[in-house]
Amino acid sequence: MSITNKITVKRAEIAVAVILALCSIALMIKSAENRITWNAEENMGAGFLPFYLSLGMLICTVLTIIKFVLKRSPQSKDDSPFIEAEAFKYIAVTIISLVILVLAIGYLGIYFSLIFFLAFYLRYFSSKSVLFISVFSLITPVLTFLFFEWLLKIPLPQGISEPLFYPVYDFMYS
Amino acid sequence: MDVFILLLEGIFVSFEPLNLGLLVFGCLIGLFVGAMPGLGSVNGVAILIPITFIIPPTAAIIFLAAVYYGAMYGGAISSVMLGIPGASTAVATVFDGRPLAVKGEAMTALTAAAVGSFVGGTVSVILFTLFAPPLAEVALRFNAPETFALMVMAFATFVGLGGDDVPKTIFSILIGLALSTIGLDLITGKPRLIFFNIPGFLHGINFLVLAIGIYGIGEMLWTLEETKGKVQMSKLSVNMKEVGRAFGALKKTIMAMNIGSFLGFFVGILPAAGATPASLMSYGITKQLSKNSKEFGSGVPAGVVAPECANNSASTGSMLPMLTLGIPGSPTTAILLGGMILWGLTPGPLLFTQEPEFVWGLIGSLYIANFFTLVLNIALIPAFLMVLRIPFAILAPVIFVLCVTGGYAPTQSLHDVWLMLLFGFAGYILRKLDYPVAPAVLSIVLGPLAEKALRQSLILSDGSMGIFFDMAEKPIAAIIMYIAIVLLIMPAFGPLYKKFFKKAQTT
Repeated sequence: MSITNKITVKRAEIAVAVILALCSIALMIKSAENRITWNAEENMGAGFLPFYLSLGMLICTVLTIIKFVLKRSPQSKDDSPFIEAEAFKYIAVTIISLVILVLAIGYLGIYFSLIFFLAFYLRYFSSKSVLFISVFSLITPVLTFLFFEWLLKIPLPQGISEPLFYPVYDFMYS
Repeated sequence: MDVFILLLEGIFVSFEPLNLGLLVFGCLIGLFVGAMPGLGSVNGVAILIPITFIIPPTAAIIFLAAVYYGAMYGGAISSVMLGIPGASTAVATVFDGRPLAVKGEAMTALTAAAVGSFVGGTVSVILFTLFAPPLAEVALRFNAPETFALMVMAFATFVGLGGDDVPKTIFSILIGLALSTIGLDLITGKPRLIFFNIPGFLHGINFLVLAIGIYGIGEMLWTLEETKGKVQMSKLSVNMKEVGRAFGALKKTIMAMNIGSFLGFFVGILPAAGATPASLMSYGITKQLSKNSKEFGSGVPAGVVAPECANNSASTGSMLPMLTLGIPGSPTTAILLGGMILWGLTPGPLLFTQEPEFVWGLIGSLYIANFFTLVLNIALIPAFLMVLRIPFAILAPVIFVLCVTGGYAPTQSLHDVWLMLLFGFAGYILRKLDYPVAPAVLSIVLGPLAEKALRQSLILSDGSMGIFFDMAEKPIAAIIMYIAIVLLIMPAFGPLYKKFFKKAQTT
């Protein structure tokens, strides 16, 4: 049995509800770092709203868990896979490549990271030629640069590749 | 008469070269965004909002409203040609649009959708022009308690009328509100919920980070899973004879146009409703009232006109509470409302007196956008079909690039890009488990405004919650609050009603 068949909708429903309940408790604890009381003399403490909102979230997740246990929600009776094997490949590769993209942006800078991201993604999922992929992967970051840096004047992160852009900036602002 | 003059001035504003150029460009982008499976008005507006920072607010709202409008038209193209709705607002269009395309009458379906959208859009913008000024006048008398009560009602409509699982809907509202409290407390100035002492949290969570995460990254993941990059397109012949025949078929759709236009507008005004339920309700009612109700689902033009009329009408309707009350009527208008705050405007009735050019420019542009979108939609059908042939595996990374750059640009912080990814992945998983995500987006936009109104009200009342329920002192706030309470407890009576109804039927 593959991993995608083991993760059924039913299991995902309860796992997510428990995780959300834990997150709600964590939020309540974090909110309690500020005053969570409210009275006419002192007015509302900074932690009051986040604390009670998180408490409300916790109650909602507990209700979801109760509905699950009593089999009152559609998900509690659904033994089908949460995600099909073929779709899982698309989703997993996309998520991993996006995480690597953002990690790379901090180090390599956005433009070079985009080149690698697009080249990998198109090579992996599309049947386009190497020439198409190369041109597409190069043109997209160039257009992104022109749009943000030249038109909007918003500098995007360049990481270690920043010195390579100095001549371009000299040309743009001279 | 005053309204007529203001409207004329608004139309002149939308004819200014920059505004008109952006309007046509927005219509085109909207049509494209709407036509692509998985992308709808809300995705388009969320992804494009960062690029509006360099233009004046009036031009920005005209551009984004045109994108919103165009997307409503464009959604029908993929519903008919691929059998996949471009967005949830075009789900009902598939019911009869797809069978028409399978029968070889795709041009009839596309024309019916375009004309239906035009009629719905025109009727609703006329209703909008008539209703907006008096509603704004009433809203001018609102103070903090009334504003807070209105926001509670907006949240309550998701619970009462949203039709989703109640605990999951309330969870979605609360998490949006909780996220909006991150950062510095507006009264005491104390930092709140600064996780792991990361300084990025001090400036709070920009609503765009959540919106782009959920509607950009999350939606793309959802669509990748649904389509796996593969689509099956119907054949289409485009010539004048086909277009003429398609217009001829519209004679029998007058009733569908009326139902869609009026029902869509009033459903669109409700915060939890918007274009998707409006189009489904319009389809259902038109089918019930039609003499040929049995033919619905096998490919009748009225089955395309009814939902398309309604979704365009609802999109205009949802802008009414956004402009007059500062309460969005749909997820897309929630993002537009957030945009107004970013552009330095204060949403609400004061806009009518303080920023008439902005308000009437937007209203005027809706008339013009309606016309341009109809013309562009029919003229560019062959071009859209070419676009629809682009494999999703190529489109998806481009959208991801737009999301990453759009998530970074407003604050220029990688911290926000990480948060956006997190919200995108979480939104995708939660949506798969039927957690509605729209209430979270609405809440993060309204959260700071609601908190401010609540705390101002409590200062006025020396900390007493009674201010919201005092029929003598604050009758409007009290009435709105009681309506909100009814909406909140309404789902509890659903099963009882069903039980009673079943019993009555069997006896």
